[in-house]
Amino acid sequence: MTSFKLSRRSFVGAGLGTLGLAALSPRLLAQETKDVALQLSWLHSVQFGGSYIAKSKGYWSEAGLNVALNPGGPNAPVDPAVVTGQALIGISAADYASASVEQGAPFKIIGVAMQKNPFVIASLPDNPVNTPADLVGKKIGMALANTPVLQALCTINNVDINQIEIVPTQYDAAPLVAKQVDCLLCWQTDLPVAMAIQGVESVTMLMADHGYAVHSQTYIATEDSLANRRADLVAMMRGEVRGWNDYKADPKAAAALTLEMYPDQGLDLPTQELQAERQVPLMFSELTEANGFGWFTDETVAQNVETLGLLGRSVTPDLWDRSILEEVHA
Amino acid sequence: MTARSVALPSNIWPPLIAALLLVGMWQGLASLTEGMFVFAGPVEVLGAIAGEGSLLLRSAGVTLQSAALGFAIGNGMAVVLAGLALALPRLERLISGLALVFFCLPFVATGPVLRVIFGVGEGPQVTLAALATYYTTYLCLLVGLRATPASWLDLVRSYGRGRFSELIHVRASASLPYFIAGLQIGAPAAFLGAMVGEFTGAERGLGVLSIRAMRGLEVDMTWAIATIAAAISAVAFWFFGWLGRRLGAGPPPLLLSPRREERKSLGFGALDLTLVVIAVLGLWIGLMQAFNLSPFFAKRPQDVLSFLVADAANRDVLLDAFWQTMSLTVPGYLAGLALGAGLAVVLVTQPRLAAAALPLAIALRSIPIVTTAPLFVLALGRGPAGTITIVAVMIFFPTLAACLEGMRRTPKAVLDLFATYAASPMQRLIHAQLPAMAPAFLASTRMAVPSALLAATTAEWLATGTGMGSLMALTASTSNYNLLWSAIMVLAVTASLLYALVRLLERHVLKTFASEQLAT
Repeated sequence: MTSFKLSRRSFVGAGLGTLGLAALSPRLLAQETKDVALQLSWLHSVQFGGSYIAKSKGYWSEAGLNVALNPGGPNAPVDPAVVTGQALIGISAADYASASVEQGAPFKIIGVAMQKNPFVIASLPDNPVNTPADLVGKKIGMALANTPVLQALCTINNVDINQIEIVPTQYDAAPLVAKQVDCLLCWQTDLPVAMAIQGVESVTMLMADHGYAVHSQTYIATEDSLANRRADLVAMMRGEVRGWNDYKADPKAAAALTLEMYPDQGLDLPTQELQAERQVPLMFSELTEANGFGWFTDETVAQNVETLGLLGRSVTPDLWDRSILEEVHA
Repeated sequence: MTARSVALPSNIWPPLIAALLLVGMWQGLASLTEGMFVFAGPVEVLGAIAGEGSLLLRSAGVTLQSAALGFAIGNGMAVVLAGLALALPRLERLISGLALVFFCLPFVATGPVLRVIFGVGEGPQVTLAALATYYTTYLCLLVGLRATPASWLDLVRSYGRGRFSELIHVRASASLPYFIAGLQIGAPAAFLGAMVGEFTGAERGLGVLSIRAMRGLEVDMTWAIATIAAAISAVAFWFFGWLGRRLGAGPPPLLLSPRREERKSLGFGALDLTLVVIAVLGLWIGLMQAFNLSPFFAKRPQDVLSFLVADAANRDVLLDAFWQTMSLTVPGYLAGLALGAGLAVVLVTQPRLAAAALPLAIALRSIPIVTTAPLFVLALGRGPAGTITIVAVMIFFPTLAACLEGMRRTPKAVLDLFATYAASPMQRLIHAQLPAMAPAFLASTRMAVPSALLAATTAEWLATGTGMGSLMALTASTSNYNLLWSAIMVLAVTASLLYALVRLLERHVLKTFASEQLAT
């Protein structure tokens, strides 16, 4: 119980600084709830719509959890927050998590939100990239850091990467729109959405449809939490599953909720609605239909291990641990 | 008050014309690049501000609050450090060395570490704002506290008063103009620090909005944010200038009487260097232990050493990135210095132009690079020109301001003498004004070293995806924290060494040409 009191106190301390006293509603103080944090991988947006639903509908508070949704950003540490215990669960990806494990982080992937990796090659309709073979002779704008990603795609599809000109760019659609490059390596759910909202039509080739199997938006937790805080992990993931099931039923409502909960993020409804709609096919598949949200199998894990090997990551199926999900979906 | 309002009509034209010209050029540039998603003109910016007024206001308020708190803490630190350095002259080298090393830590690397230490909230924003400001103020104060004619100090001593009275009555008032200058330089830096702090995971603020706008192709919004940030910084600049004048801090006087010989020494000795290195390593390990930082991401010196020694490939990756960064930093640095000093000379010979050009320079400097770096790179093609321009823009303004101030301090008596002999403006410039400018110019070459590296790595991180900046940002996906800390170390050592080198050069020049100016 002492440890509980301590965590409450540190929460109040942090809360005073950030939320202000007013935000600590009497409900929170009156109930015996446990404070835990979910470290998000990016700024607040409908990308985490299911979590917002879980929070606002009380799926976590019913289970006695008060979950803080900590925002990420372009320079925000996700893995360290989980290693240090600041966050019980973090939103990472299979490639990031395997790199962390190689560096000594005791992580397991306990659930997979994005069954299909969201990376696409985006191009303009008058000069489209529809298949990996179309990349030959093109200028692709991307962060140099992502070269292994392109390399893996090329290897899988027998394309010579030396015939593609890589132009280092920021993560922004402007170089494509300004025609400084022919295509961009980006996420299905951000830059193409931004272009569509600005009235620029684009063609996207989902890399997952061409053999690039890397689980994205994965839930990671430490081995220590898996051993000692199972009940909290199960309660957290149960809330996530319920939230995302609601999301699937009505993505537009999730977009509206995102704007309502985070009015200072500079989000606009049409963009969020389009993003919400476009991420549905990435998150929900026949596999999740049959087994439930977040599911993975030995087969999908094996595909991941293979692609991650192409990315230079030595990783074993041990990185994945389905025991929490099995309890949630039992 | 009356005198000023009478003088107003004749003075108001140049700035007004300048402002109109600026707005015209801005709009022209925006129309030329329409469809490229690079520039938004004043009309579009006003539209964006009108459309999202309350959101922008709230966000600016949040960022301003972090920036102001960090600014206050940073400048408070500077006062304490400068006071310590003055009170304990033996420790001055050590204090200055440590202050420099911490100032040279790159934002992209310190941000995430601060986020882990502070957790959710404004901690990283405030800390980065403080880190961005304290050093320049410290340097200015150090010069100011020393900028006392020997005769004043003799006077205090002849009345039998001690060091404390000396500090209050002589040094404090002598340093006021320098302190004000430090505050003016620090204001935009604090705002930039707060915005970068928001990149480490913040709920709200202008930094958060700028990421969103950039990725959403919302060019109008990006420029609206840049304009608001620039306006806030510019207002702070003018406010501190006004405050300085109210407090009676005129331009710092040029000292013609020799300073009291305080200590004879040639730059940084080997002993000083050893002390600084030991202190840095001690603080590095000590702080990590004190905050109980996980060895997963908080690598200790021994980890970095074994990482660099163990594998030649590690060193190669680091060195490649390092040269890439230096190849952009050095040309940008030189261009910025040349531009600043050159413009200062033009403005002194054409005083009418000065009133018009200064606000433009202040505005340019106040635009936070985090919002505009990607746009610069996009607008100037994808080559090195973009990054070099960003570096130059970052350092040209402090150089310009310092050089103008230096030339303004040309003693009236000397100028009168030139006038008596009917010397040409060119003769006056070469023989009186340029020598008066030299110390200020040399001081800014020194202060520009860390800023140039900061600008280059920021541009690489946010825009070009090359060099050290990108290498450090990569850590988020690779968790290769040994590489990150190695990069931090290399950058801090490089900045410190270059700084020391420039300082040696400066001392050599000043010793030969203006020995009374050897202030720091």
